[in-house]
Amino acid sequence: MSYKIEIQSLSAWFGSKQVLQDITMKIKENLVTAIIGPSGCGKTTLIRCLNRMHELTPRAKVTGRVLLDGEDIYSENVDPVTVRRRIGMVFQKPNPFPMMSIYDNTAAGLKLNGVADKHRLDGIVEKSLRAAHLWDEVKLELGKSGASLSGGQQQRLCIARALAIEPEVILMDEPTSALDPTAAAKIEQLIRILAENYTVVIVTHNMQQAARVSDFTAFLYLGKLVEYGLTKDIFENPKSELTEKYITGEFG
Amino acid sequence: MRSYSFRKLEDRMMISLAYAALIIALIPLISILVETVGRGLSAISFSLLLEEIPPLGQPGGGIGPAIQGTLIVVALASIMGIPIGVFSGIYLAEFRQSRFASVARFLNDVLTNVPSIALGIFGWTLIVVVIGWSVIAGAIALAIMMIPIVTRTTEEAIKLVPITIREAAIALGVPQWKTTLTVVLSSTKKGIATGILLAVARISGETAPLLLTILGSRFWFSGFTQPTAALPLAIFNFSQSPFRTADLPRAWGASLILIFIVLAINIIVRYITREKYG
Amino acid sequence: MSRIIDTGLEELSVMLCRMGELTYETVSLSIKGCLNGTSVYSQVHEMSDALISMSDQAEDKTFELIARFQPVASDLRTIKSYMKIAYDFARYSRYALDISYINEQLGGLKECEEWITEYIEKMSEKVLNMVRTSIDALRSHSAQLAKTIAKTEEEVDKMYFEYLDKLIKKAPATSKCTISSVLVVRYLERIADHATYICESVIYLATGEKTTLR
Repeated sequence: MSYKIEIQSLSAWFGSKQVLQDITMKIKENLVTAIIGPSGCGKTTLIRCLNRMHELTPRAKVTGRVLLDGEDIYSENVDPVTVRRRIGMVFQKPNPFPMMSIYDNTAAGLKLNGVADKHRLDGIVEKSLRAAHLWDEVKLELGKSGASLSGGQQQRLCIARALAIEPEVILMDEPTSALDPTAAAKIEQLIRILAENYTVVIVTHNMQQAARVSDFTAFLYLGKLVEYGLTKDIFENPKSELTEKYITGEFG
Repeated sequence: MRSYSFRKLEDRMMISLAYAALIIALIPLISILVETVGRGLSAISFSLLLEEIPPLGQPGGGIGPAIQGTLIVVALASIMGIPIGVFSGIYLAEFRQSRFASVARFLNDVLTNVPSIALGIFGWTLIVVVIGWSVIAGAIALAIMMIPIVTRTTEEAIKLVPITIREAAIALGVPQWKTTLTVVLSSTKKGIATGILLAVARISGETAPLLLTILGSRFWFSGFTQPTAALPLAIFNFSQSPFRTADLPRAWGASLILIFIVLAINIIVRYITREKYG
Repeated sequence: MSRIIDTGLEELSVMLCRMGELTYETVSLSIKGCLNGTSVYSQVHEMSDALISMSDQAEDKTFELIARFQPVASDLRTIKSYMKIAYDFARYSRYALDISYINEQLGGLKECEEWITEYIEKMSEKVLNMVRTSIDALRSHSAQLAKTIAKTEEEVDKMYFEYLDKLIKKAPATSKCTISSVLVVRYLERIADHATYICESVIYLATGEKTTLR
């Protein structure tokens, strides 16, 4: 199995505060990679560096390289907008566009990027909603507001919205932290299914969730990559004492 | 600890106090409405709405040109002021950290508080002296009044749009400018519309800048570079007239119509920008 | 959508069923070898090694499921039972290896009188049936089927003691036969015990009841 993303000596700053220090790791294709660590360890910053969202924060800085299929997304001639079309993102709190219907939310990425062919949009909307396992629940009311759905449904709508632009990688930033356990379990199941076709990188502060959904786990502490390996190994037999302490709940 | 009954009494007193304050605040508001409707309604007739303005003290005639003038000047001012205000607001909200933005924001706040008569003088010196008393001069003066209000409310409205909504669009590979113009503006159009309304309502009633720019007229609109009538001017003139019995009812009628126009604009804009999904 | 843990449980269950089939083959091969006097030791050895490594893998997998998916209720019972069953399967293969070792070292039952080989053949049929029952009960998670093993277990136990009584009354001609037949009977009885344990585990995972079938 090949590597989809290679992170090489990645460092990131907010102003003068360094939040990531020299991270190097390779992310495998069509698997789920989880990033865990205590609050403020830089895990969210790390995935925001993968689709060049980090640099949107004022005074943020990034050095190092992130290779997507071998090409550096930080090289001079790469437009961050095209990077973001290949790497979708799902956020901590479900954030459907409040003024848009379920249909328009799903189609938003395409519509805003100029796709107007109704027939094509219809097809992609259905496909994406099905892939997000939301279709059966909303197919009769696609015109309703996205905000009228339950939290878990909204998050699946956001996943459908991300899938609609047909990305290769999906980044998820604590996608279930605002959801109840049942809705969260559904998202977790969905993540496993998505991994059949996409490379998924998920940030979570819930270690058990990382254990459940991921194939590989990276443990980040104070901006450094402490340990990275098979999820099974990290949770059964971590190599670093720090990892052991974190996952057994001694700190964090 | 104080007894329960004392705390309950305290609670009731505070509520009554707030209630009384509200009533006091409502008294002038309601009495203005009652007075204006009471006195203005009887003055309103077709001829008042449609006929040219008579010389002071004369019977007959109406305030048609004043209504027309106000609509034209306000519309023209809005056409100039709203886009500039909205885009400035977008700029301030998008680049809120930049130095230029903070200077611009400060100047904008100063401009909001410039007395309207000063704007009138400005309009008079810069435009009237060059092209004469005119609709354009009035519209420019009013537009200058509008811009800071629209700018400020637009900026505030955009700032209220959660960053997560903006990030959602950017993460979909939508360019930043497009994100702002589509997703952000559409989620905040109610806030921006409120700002525009405030500004339009404010300038519709302005008298001072108009005195120095459009001069006033008794006749129908005759070109953008000509003086014109306007409701606030008509109200001012009629109310200052020595012929009370003939002109005072006209002043009330004109006031009622001005209030009605502002109300109508309010309702229309609210209808257009109503939220599809409450 | 199925639950995430289901994939892992399914994998484990497939693993165990494959082990079950292989243990059946191993046990029956070694018994056959012993009864016919053919040398199957190296073959059984290979199969037994494979089974032991499979058992390790199954144990690893159960650990992984516990560490990663926080199983509770029926999931937890299933995992616990699977872990025990994997061990029982490993024991099957261990006894099968022991039986074929006797054949290799002592020449098996070649020197035994006919009544002895017949007796052992009859007993081994019952034991193989028990092994079959345990595998089938596991595959279908059927407590009902598992419970049926109690009767055969009793019979096998009885045959075991009966055989010892018979030997005391009427010793075989050679001590080679005495030793190997006693050991084979003993191992068969042990295999039957493990088949019973497996059935007990199946009842536990299916119903949550801890029962004793002996």
